[in-house]
Amino acid sequence: MIARVSGASRKGEPRIPVEDRLFSLVLALLATETGLLKAEILSSVRGYAERYDESGQNANLERQFERDKDDIRELGIPLETVESPDRPGDNQALRYRIPKGQYDLPEEVRFTPDELALLGLAAEVWREASLSSDSQRALTKLRSLGIEPREPVIGYAPRLRVRDAAFEPLRQALDRRQTVRFRYFKPGEPAPRERIVDPLAVVLHEGRWHLHGFDRNAGGPRTFLLSRIIGKVEPVPGLTFDAPPPGIQDRILAELDELRLRNAADLAVTAGSDAEVRLGKRAVLRDEDAGVIRLHYTDAAVFADELAAYGPEVRVISPASLRDAVRERLAAVVAAHRDGGAA
Amino acid sequence: MAKRAKPLKAPDKLVFLLSFVPYLLERRVVDVAEAAQHFGMTEAEIRDAVRLIATSGLPGSTGTYQPNDLFDIDWDSFEDDDVIVIVHHVAIDDAPRLSAREAAALMAGLQYLSASPESAGSASLASLKAKLAAGASSAPSRLAVAETEADASLAVIREAVAEGRQVEFDYLNARGERGRRRADPLRIISQDADWYLQAYCHTREDVRNFRVDRMSDLVLTDEPIGDHSHRVVPDTLFQSSDSDLAVVVDVAPSTLPLLADYLADSRAREVDGRLRVTLRLSHVHGLKRLVAGLPGLVTVVAPAEARAAVAEWAAAGLAGYAGREASDDDPRGTGATDGST
Repeated sequence: MIARVSGASRKGEPRIPVEDRLFSLVLALLATETGLLKAEILSSVRGYAERYDESGQNANLERQFERDKDDIRELGIPLETVESPDRPGDNQALRYRIPKGQYDLPEEVRFTPDELALLGLAAEVWREASLSSDSQRALTKLRSLGIEPREPVIGYAPRLRVRDAAFEPLRQALDRRQTVRFRYFKPGEPAPRERIVDPLAVVLHEGRWHLHGFDRNAGGPRTFLLSRIIGKVEPVPGLTFDAPPPGIQDRILAELDELRLRNAADLAVTAGSDAEVRLGKRAVLRDEDAGVIRLHYTDAAVFADELAAYGPEVRVISPASLRDAVRERLAAVVAAHRDGGAA
Repeated sequence: MAKRAKPLKAPDKLVFLLSFVPYLLERRVVDVAEAAQHFGMTEAEIRDAVRLIATSGLPGSTGTYQPNDLFDIDWDSFEDDDVIVIVHHVAIDDAPRLSAREAAALMAGLQYLSASPESAGSASLASLKAKLAAGASSAPSRLAVAETEADASLAVIREAVAEGRQVEFDYLNARGERGRRRADPLRIISQDADWYLQAYCHTREDVRNFRVDRMSDLVLTDEPIGDHSHRVVPDTLFQSSDSDLAVVVDVAPSTLPLLADYLADSRAREVDGRLRVTLRLSHVHGLKRLVAGLPGLVTVVAPAEARAAVAEWAAAGLAGYAGREASDDDPRGTGATDGST
């Protein structure tokens, strides 16, 4: 192979922008059937070739190529590594390619203007870093189909916030099938305890993010509330796990729903109050005369927090455990505020 | 179609280039302005991208990027008429697949929208999710949002806008005042599980946010909706005003994100392992609910009236349980009526 010019003589030239190099790399790898050797890529593809050193000092360029490969794969582009049948295990004989059949969006995946309008709204739901940039990229890809989304009848600004610090590291670990460790504060336990968990699914249920995973200490599946994770979620080096069955996230949601239906609370609500209007919308049974409604709930501690916010507008009749939990919370708020402020 | 604020990073620019090429091939002849509109980019960004694509291609067998291995465009149309036509293309012609994470983000967003009237029911939602999964290069991340049924009111509001008619409803505001309102719906906003209608309220003669779950007896009227194109509809649910109450609180550090909507500024001072911050709220009615709903995690420091209001609110709640238990009642439950020092 003939390199155009040696690296040294090109130093004065403007640097090729990163996206230009990545674009050239993707084009080159898509166009090859058999794959390209790393040496071929570094010596010929735009963005690398300008800095390629014929004498073999290309360690920086090789590291650059490794990072670029990771970036490209992160975007969902199926960049493959093919071993040489004659020289298995030889890194210099590895070939790289992007099979076109696995790169192209399948023919049957096409969207109507109505569907694209809904997908546009779905992307707007997320404002937080990774979910937002992932959904914006997805929209960019779908725009390549050239279909204009239908304008909605009324404007929308939907927003679902992710306020648990544990969410981002868990989402990463989920995708990379990486075991993690974190400290978890379970209600009823005196202090947070370390857990080592294979994260299998992350779901939002009743307004709370839950992690479902295999708890390596307990030796079984467990579901955790992200809001009860204390401090950092850290990967456990070297520990990974097999992909969980598809649709596990939907099964976990169904399980949480079953759990919710098993817990019922009877609440006395003040007529005309915020509690009556808002909790009343979720009631499954209602005694208008007595001002009593029945609601299902998933987690007693979470529900007790919500009920405490209503102050005198709601009183728990049953179960006793929920009643005690609300009472304890109200007493704690009173105790913290009983004397004058000390600002 | 799109609006975008932040500058794109290199991977985002790559995704755009890989998406822009099949778009240009699909459309054959496109104005720069139209392409900019479609991708939510500036015309200058589109022209830069066209120039980059037109000089890109394959290194070829000699590694020298010969003309036949490069993209080419109709340069006359581009330079003279601002029109893009690709006349030769290499390597790509189709839309790229979604990544597992991208597909999952949209699927979870769709699940959240099941509560909105735009979502046309669970069957079409399921087929749309299946299409996204089929369009992903590997199994979408295992991320899900529980689907909820749309509030019936939202469907009525949507119908009102489609037909251009005003709505009328009973509304219980945050201060506990109830009244009949007549309004022209402008926009539907949501935040997590809460849905709001932004509307021009004929009763108050101004734009107001209404919590959908505080609305009842909602009906369509025969009155037409007015023209509100000149009105500024606020982008956020919480607008500060001069009459806001400034409240100093101590908060457990992990709870701070839950107060983000109310923070007056970014200042926080550490006091005994907690963070002392200032919140801005329109009324003490909101404050007492906020603090009582985060028991043990937020304590009001000042002013004394706000502290007292929270104490009274919780004490009144506690009083509801007095005498109903066999066990001893906490004497604090009935006594604390003010926060005077």
